[in-house]
Amino acid sequence: MAGKNTAGIVGFFSDERALLQAAAKVKDAQYLSFDAFSPYPVHGLDQAMGLRRSWLPYVTFGGGLTGVTLGYLLQWWTSSQSWPVNVGGKPFNSVPAWVPVIFELTILFAGVSTVVALILGCRLPNVKKRAFDPAITRDRFAVMIEAPCGGAAPAGGKKFDESEITSFLKSIGAQDVRVVAEEGWF
Amino acid sequence: MAAAHSHAHAEIKNPGNLKVSGGAKALFLVLIAVGLGCFGYLLATAPARAWSTFLVNHFFFMSLGLSGVFFAAIHAVTGSMWSAPVRRVAESFTGYLPIAALTLIAVFVGTATGQIYEWTHGDVVAADQMLTAKSGYLNVPFFIVRNALVFGALFLFARKFVANSLKQDQTKSFAESARNAALAPGFLIVFALGFTMMSFDQIMSLDPHWFSTIFGVYCFSGLYYSFWALMALSTHGLEKRGLLKGVVNENHFHDIGKFMFAFTVFWAYIGFSQFMLIWYANLPEETRFYLARFDTKWLGLSIFLVVKFALPFFLLLPRAAKRNARHLRRVAVFMLVAQWIDILWLVQPNFFPEGPNLDLFDLGVALGFVGAFAWAVTRFLSKNPVLAYGDPRLAESVHHHHQ
Repeated sequence: MAGKNTAGIVGFFSDERALLQAAAKVKDAQYLSFDAFSPYPVHGLDQAMGLRRSWLPYVTFGGGLTGVTLGYLLQWWTSSQSWPVNVGGKPFNSVPAWVPVIFELTILFAGVSTVVALILGCRLPNVKKRAFDPAITRDRFAVMIEAPCGGAAPAGGKKFDESEITSFLKSIGAQDVRVVAEEGWF
Repeated sequence: MAAAHSHAHAEIKNPGNLKVSGGAKALFLVLIAVGLGCFGYLLATAPARAWSTFLVNHFFFMSLGLSGVFFAAIHAVTGSMWSAPVRRVAESFTGYLPIAALTLIAVFVGTATGQIYEWTHGDVVAADQMLTAKSGYLNVPFFIVRNALVFGALFLFARKFVANSLKQDQTKSFAESARNAALAPGFLIVFALGFTMMSFDQIMSLDPHWFSTIFGVYCFSGLYYSFWALMALSTHGLEKRGLLKGVVNENHFHDIGKFMFAFTVFWAYIGFSQFMLIWYANLPEETRFYLARFDTKWLGLSIFLVVKFALPFFLLLPRAAKRNARHLRRVAVFMLVAQWIDILWLVQPNFFPEGPNLDLFDLGVALGFVGAFAWAVTRFLSKNPVLAYGDPRLAESVHHHHQ
């Protein structure tokens, strides 16, 4: 069954503490790629898995800066360049009055660019992927050691050996180990 | 591994009290003496300067004294868990409240003798239709009674609240948390209304013709801005002395840093809201406040208030910055000084319209207040454990933040 049709091998754990310890051990075992699943965000999981900091905040910051700039330029151009209108005898380019709109556009651009970047970064929407077990959205925690694409072990990676991984997952305390076929998940 | 695991669940022990060295105590007392001396000298030579400086420091430090119990009350109401390890640090600020009561009495004396507020001068009020109309509210007896009542109520609440918290160190029972959670909503309502009133009375009425309904919120936003800065400083100081070891780590500093950042933005939001509505409506009775601060040498400090927002905003924006206690400490010092300057900017133009008027004696008075605050807070921490180690939520919080 190993090879093309195997998405990965998944071990189930009963609580978040066990998941955190398992994730750290899987990281140390240096498999090519693995992922963790939990019904709710678990504090410290990204650290246990050795994940790098997300690049999303930089997108947010860039979106915010864009919003500030565009918010100012929009009002400067419409109110003082394209069609100057005298409002209450104030200067055409009255910056204090622009601030609320600049502020709102900063939030809008920062927020929307973050969501768009998140969706693109996660390659969503993906209708093909399905949860391999509904329990991971309810009360179970899982670690999946993923099979390399195409079944071949790439250079530098550990060989994807089903029985070795199964016994490894059991040895780190998985209550249940399952081979997940691509149809079920990918 | 097993040992570390069981340790995380072990009962959290009393880390003990802060040891204040004789030298530090002597330094605080010397500062207080310097402050009293400078205030006395100014009072004899330049009463207007004496009272303006006194009022700035009184309001700044009274706000900090009240801020700690405000924080603890919010966290009692919400059943907050993360803050349990630093709750006692906030509660220690209430140690200053007895001194704040004394400085408030001094302000009453200055008010009754007509040395602080324009509306205490009978001849000025009689000649001014607006002030005559306001004299039902702005008169000396009512001013003293309502400020004394509000401060007294907040003071008693704070004492009861902290007493429950200290009792919990012994009983280790959730009953004290529940009692404070029941006490807190009443405190918060009295605080919100009472602190607004004190801001109106003690600061805004310096210019009795001017009014701004958001002024109380503005003063509150400054209070909480400086609270988080002081919280970062105090927590770092105690942690450095090993008193919060194993309880507080960079995750707690991260949380404190987030609040410093959040209330920097909140302060700017409120400050700009006040400014923009007045600027836009352009009504003479409202714009006088800003004209006094823009068309004079006060402009420099008005521009500084932009820095009061922008500097902490960018210095606290990166995640790593908020997790670095030493970086937080530097930003916190700036924030405390900036808040002091903000109150100076609110108070002093009423005494010295031409521009900022500060010399070494003003610095001496400020140092006196710093000494009094440090003396009172370190005294609290040397008499009581620096950690609310009996709080049932504490173990959860320590565990939660240490995974």
